Amino acid sequence: MKWFSTDHKVIGKQYIGLSLFAVLMGMVLSLLMRFHLVYPDTKVPLFQALWPEGAPGGVMTPELYLSLMTMHGTIMVFFVLTTAPQSGFGNCFLPPQIGAHDMAFPVLNMLSFWTTALSFAVLLMAFVVEGGAPLSGWTAYPPLSGLGKITGPGQGLGQDLWLVSIALFCAASLMAAINFITTVIELRAPDMGYFDMPLTAWAWFVTALISLFAFGVLLAGGILLLLDRNLNTAFFVPGGLIVNDRVEPRSGGSPILFQHLFWFFGHPEVYIAILPGMGVVSTVLSTFSGKKVFGYRAMAYALLAIGGLGFLVWGHHMFISGINPYSTIAFSVLTLAIGVPSAIKTFNWIATIWGGRLRFTAAMHYALGFVSLFITGGITGLVLGQPGLDLYFHDTYFVVAHFHLIMGVAAIFAIFAALHYWFPRMYGRTMNETLGKVHFYLTFAGVYALFVPMHFAGIAGNPRRYPDFKEYEFLQSLLPLHKGMTHAAYFLAAVQLLFLYNYFRSKRNGAEARGDVWGAGTREWRDD
Amino acid sequence: MTNAARTGQTLLIVASTMLFAAFTSALVARRAGGDFGDTPLPVWLWASAPLALAASWAVERGFTRSAAAAGAALTASQLFYLGSLHIAQVDQAFRSVFVGAHAAHAAAGACALLLHGRSARLFWHFAGGLWIYVLALLGVWT
Amino acid sequence: MHLAIAIASLATACVLLFVQPRWWLPEAISAHARAYDAQLHVTLWVIGVLFAAAQGLLAFAVFRFRDRGQTPSATAGNHRLELVWTSVTAVAFLGLAIAGQGIWAAVHLQGAPNPLRVEVLAKQFAWSYRYAGPDGVFSAVEVKSIDDAGGNPFGVVDAKSDDIVTALLHVPAGRAVELRLKSRDVIHNFFVRELRIKQDVVPGMTIPLRFQAEKTGRYEIPCSELCGLGHHQMRSALVVMGAGEFEAWLREQQSR
Repeated sequence: MKWFSTDHKVIGKQYIGLSLFAVLMGMVLSLLMRFHLVYPDTKVPLFQALWPEGAPGGVMTPELYLSLMTMHGTIMVFFVLTTAPQSGFGNCFLPPQIGAHDMAFPVLNMLSFWTTALSFAVLLMAFVVEGGAPLSGWTAYPPLSGLGKITGPGQGLGQDLWLVSIALFCAASLMAAINFITTVIELRAPDMGYFDMPLTAWAWFVTALISLFAFGVLLAGGILLLLDRNLNTAFFVPGGLIVNDRVEPRSGGSPILFQHLFWFFGHPEVYIAILPGMGVVSTVLSTFSGKKVFGYRAMAYALLAIGGLGFLVWGHHMFISGINPYSTIAFSVLTLAIGVPSAIKTFNWIATIWGGRLRFTAAMHYALGFVSLFITGGITGLVLGQPGLDLYFHDTYFVVAHFHLIMGVAAIFAIFAALHYWFPRMYGRTMNETLGKVHFYLTFAGVYALFVPMHFAGIAGNPRRYPDFKEYEFLQSLLPLHKGMTHAAYFLAAVQLLFLYNYFRSKRNGAEARGDVWGAGTREWRDD
Repeated sequence: MTNAARTGQTLLIVASTMLFAAFTSALVARRAGGDFGDTPLPVWLWASAPLALAASWAVERGFTRSAAAAGAALTASQLFYLGSLHIAQVDQAFRSVFVGAHAAHAAAGACALLLHGRSARLFWHFAGGLWIYVLALLGVWT
Repeated sequence: MHLAIAIASLATACVLLFVQPRWWLPEAISAHARAYDAQLHVTLWVIGVLFAAAQGLLAFAVFRFRDRGQTPSATAGNHRLELVWTSVTAVAFLGLAIAGQGIWAAVHLQGAPNPLRVEVLAKQFAWSYRYAGPDGVFSAVEVKSIDDAGGNPFGVVDAKSDDIVTALLHVPAGRAVELRLKSRDVIHNFFVRELRIKQDVVPGMTIPLRFQAEKTGRYEIPCSELCGLGHHQMRSALVVMGAGEFEAWLREQQSR
C-alpha cells in the first residue's frame, strides 16, 4: 500500500485501520477501569509493570484511573467515532455513490488523514511523559485543566499534549469537511441531483457541514486553554483561587466560558458521530428489505434538521453549571424538539422494513440492532433533557448509560453493519455470515446486560468519574450491580475476538465476491 | 478558478469565520467583566491595514507574487508584534490570540497565492478583510 | 425469527427491570423531592410506553416480514402518516418539556422569604459551611486570612467574629434554607440525593441553591463534578435536625 496515496479508497481504509487500532485501545482502557471500580485494592503485577508510579504495588491510584478514563473517552469519541463512520467509509464510498472518480481535493485528503494520525500519536505521547496522561476527563474543564500540574498529576505536560492533539484533530477534521462538502456540491454526476443521492451520501454531507461549523469553536477553546496554561492569560481563570495552598494571582476569567465553547462543539460532535451510521442503516435496511427507504425526502430533511438543531442545544450539557436558569428552559425545549426528527427517522426505518421481504444477513442484523439500541439509548434523552430531572441525574451513571448506548453501542453497530455490508466492495470477498451473526447476538445481549443496569446506578445517585466506591456505603451497596457490569464488559470484550477473527481471516480467505453482491443498486457497486 | 476551488475556499472561509466568531464571543464576554486594560495598538501596526488592502488590489490585477510578498510582510509584522507583546493585561491576551490566529491565515494565504496564483484570491480577500476586522476590534472597539 | 425474539425479550427485560418493586431511588425528604419523583415517574411511564411500542413494532416487523418468498410492497412513503406521527411525537415531547419546567422553576426561579442562609465552601477535597451567628451578618472575608489548619477556611478577617464554621451542613427541618455556594479552586458540585438537588460550585461565582428538608437524619453529600484525584473522597453530610435541636446546636457552636 502506498502510504501517502491520494486515492480516496486507500485513505478511507487508512482511516478505518486507525479507528480499529483506536477502538481496541479504548476498549482495553475501559476494561482496566471496570476492573478497578470493583476490585480497587487488588494487587495486579501487570499494573505495576506498566505504571510504576501510577500503580505502586500493583494497585491503581485514583489519578491513574482518572487518566485512563480521560484517554478512554478522548480516544473513543475522536479517534473511533469521528473517523471511521465519516472519513473511513465516506472516503471509500461517497465518490462512487455520487458518480465522482475521487474526492474534490485528493492531496488535502491525504493530508487530513496524516494530520489525524499525527494527532493520535501526540495524544498517545501523553501516556509516557512525566506525570502521565491528563485526568480532567475528555471534557477538560478549567480550572482543573487550566492551571497546570498544581491541580493534579498528568495536568502538566500531559494536558498540553492532549490539547495539541485536539487542535491537530480540529485542523484535520476541517480539512476533511471542506473536501466532503465540495465533493458533494461540485462532483456529483450530471444525472445525480441532491435528492437522487443515497441517504449515506446525505449523511456524510450533513455530517461534514456540522463539522465545518463546529470544529473551529473547539479549536478556539483549546487555543485559549493552552494560552491560560502556558502564557499566563486568564480566559478561564477567575480571581481569588487558592490551589494546593498557593494563591493564584490571575483573575477575571470564566470557567463557564470554556464550557460554552466546548459544548457548542461538543453537542454537534455527537451528531457527527451518529449521522453517518444512520445513513448506513437506512441503506442496509432498504437493501435487505427489497424496498426503497420509506419517506426518503423526510429522511434527508430529518438529517438536515438534526444537524441544524444540533447547534442550538449545547446548554443541556450545562443545565447545572450555573448558567442563567431561564436559558436552561430554552435549551430544554429545543433539546426535546430535536427528539422529533430522530423519532421520525426511527418510524421511517420501521416503515422501510414493513411490508418488505427481509433477508437476515449479518449486516441486516446489525442495522436492526442499531434501531433497537437507538430507541433504548435515545429514549432516556427525554429524561435528561428536562433540567428539573437533570437536577438529580447530571454527572451520574444515568448519563454514562445514555451516551454509551447511543455512541458506544448504536454507532458501533452501524460500523459493524457497514463493514459487513461493504466488505465485498473493499476487499473483493465476503465476511463469514454465520460468525457475523453469532458475534451480533452475543454482542447485542452483552451491551444490554452492560448498559441497561447502569441506569439503576444512576437512579441510585452514583456519581460519575469516581475511581472507586470505598468512601460511601450507598455506593458499596451498588457493588453487586457494578460487578455484573464488569463481567458483562469482559464478556463483551472477549466476544469481539470473534469479529476480529472474522474480519482478518475474511480479508485473506473469505469467499470471493464480485459486483452488486447484495442487490443494492447504488452506484458504488458498479464496476465501471 | 474552478468551481471546486471556489467552493473549497468558501468553506474554508466559513470554518475560519467560526474560529474568529468564537474568539470574538470570548472577547465580548470577557470585556463585560471589567479590568480589561486599555493599551493602544502600536501606530506602526495600523500601517498593515493599507498593506492588506494593497495586497488584495494586487491580486485582482494579477500581481500574485507581489501580493504574496505583501502577505509575507504582513505575517512578519504580526510575528514581530507578537514577539514584542508582553501579556500583562486581558486586552493584550486577546491581541495575542487574534493576531496570532490571523498570522497563520496570512501565511497560509501567501503560500496559497504562490502555489495556486489567482485561484486563491477568494481566501486572500477574506484574509485581508479579516485583518481589517481584527484591527478594528482590537484597536477601536476595545 | 431469532432476531425478533432477541429484540422482544431484551425489551421486555428492560421494561420488567424498570417496573419491579425494588426501587433504586433513595427516600425523598422534601416537597420538592416528592414533586421530582412524581415527574420522574410520569416521564418514565411515557418513555416506557414509547419504548415498548417502538421495540414491539420493530420486533413484530422483523418477525412478520421475514423472507417467506413474498413480494415486497412498493410503498416508498406516505405523507399523511409522516405528518401524523411527527405531530404526535412533537406534542408528546414538547408536553414533557413543559410539564417538567415546574420543578426547575421551584428550585431556581422561586424563593421562600426569610430563609436560613448558609455559605458553602468547596475546595480540593473538602467542604466547609458558614453560618452568620447571632448578629445575623456574615463577617467580611479575605484571601490573606485563610487558615485551613486553624479552622478558618473562609478567611474571616475578624478573629472575634461570631460566624460559625463547620464541616457538616446542619439545618433545621421545615425551614427554608438558602445555600450560597463558592469554590476556592476548581469546579465542584453539591449534591444531596434525598433532596433531589444538585448544583455545580464554580470558582469566581457565588451560586444560590434553595431547599427545605422535612425529615430529620443524616444524608450524604458526594462531590459530583470531577475535581481531581480526591474527587471520590470529597464527602460531607447534610444533618437535618428538629427545630429545637437545631437551635441548641447553634447555641453550642456559638459558645465555642
